[in-house]
Amino acid sequence: MERPLDREKSQKLYVQLFELLRGKIETGEWAVSTQIPTEEELCKIYDVSKATVRLAILELVRQGYLTRQQGKGTFVCKRIIPEGLTMSTSFKELMLEAGIVFSTQTLAQTVMMPTDDIDVKLNVPEDKHIIYIKRLRAVENEPVLLQEAYIPYNICPQLLADDIASNSLFELFEKKYGIKITKITDFIELAYINKDEGKLLDMKEGSPALLLEQHFYAGETQVIYMRTIKRPERFRFYIELERKG
Amino acid sequence: MSNGKTVKELMLDVFEFPHIPYWFSIRQAIGIIKKSLLTKEKCLQPMAVLVFDEKYNLVGTVSFKNILRGLEPRFLKPTSKAQGHVEDDSGLSLLWDTLFNKESREMAEKPISEVMTPAKHFVAPDDPVTKAAYLMVHNDLALLPVLENNKKFVGLVRMIEVFDELSNNILEGRG
Repeated sequence: MERPLDREKSQKLYVQLFELLRGKIETGEWAVSTQIPTEEELCKIYDVSKATVRLAILELVRQGYLTRQQGKGTFVCKRIIPEGLTMSTSFKELMLEAGIVFSTQTLAQTVMMPTDDIDVKLNVPEDKHIIYIKRLRAVENEPVLLQEAYIPYNICPQLLADDIASNSLFELFEKKYGIKITKITDFIELAYINKDEGKLLDMKEGSPALLLEQHFYAGETQVIYMRTIKRPERFRFYIELERKG
Repeated sequence: MSNGKTVKELMLDVFEFPHIPYWFSIRQAIGIIKKSLLTKEKCLQPMAVLVFDEKYNLVGTVSFKNILRGLEPRFLKPTSKAQGHVEDDSGLSLLWDTLFNKESREMAEKPISEVMTPAKHFVAPDDPVTKAAYLMVHNDLALLPVLENNKKFVGLVRMIEVFDELSNNILEGRG
């Protein structure tokens, strides 16, 4: 029997539900890779509206506990983010590719609608047009990273016509369009590459790789969600932390 | 003859329609149609999703009909264009219960490029509305893409506006 939500509590119902479901993931009751109940089933189990369930699920997706796959369902992620690891540092140190000379091939520079959980990751409505950029970067002709970037179309429509093979998105935003990036959040995890990614990176399907997910903000607005897969042997991470104040 | 109206005076903004790349699956396209079109209070008609390549060139359009055909290969059988009385198609009637089942769920993983209507016919913004009407009628199109300088996709013309414009000419004795 599921514990009911406390309707007398001042805490909003979706926050209560979010905490309850997060508890199931953190304790392993909902194991990694398992599909969670549908929105309708969760509505019945907890006697709440669809809107409450949706808000709780969206927050769990946003925080990396769940992932949505269009037409298939919502699944528990491998990643569990411990609290207290939020770090403040300067952007320069976060540009992990610094110092390496890349050649870049643009594989896509087009417009699409968000699919799977991209709307949540980019924090845009699900019917919003987004610019999709996919680039393959190589060092001495060896592919080393595959990068996909998602940008709300209305933030920077001109980006569709830019030379993105020789310019970084960060520089284009700041120098050409005057969009000042004020915050970047990074998530780093081990991932297993799929068939298409393997083909591009010249690796076997299922090989381990580093997955870097970055959220770029200008003020309160998220302007880029970037997903980069890196060959693990080509990179090391260097982060310098400085206490503020 | 239209009284000089051009395509650019009638065309709709491309961003009125959802965009997808050609490598999306039919399943992904269905999800986008549901989120972008079916849940809206007012669904733009004719319903269409625009399909682009990796350089943002329009390569095709997708309608409900394209999707249903893609999911159920038995719908690929050619049909008569005339909408007269049709005798019971006994060959198909035995199959009604078997349509849109497991096989269709597998078909939903196919790329949308396999079921879209390829974009072959275009007009320019300064072309006359009559040219758009000609292309739409002769090629049985509900939507016609508008390209600037034969390259940049800038809008779409619908039959509803073309019909409205040309029929006004007739009723008001213009042209």
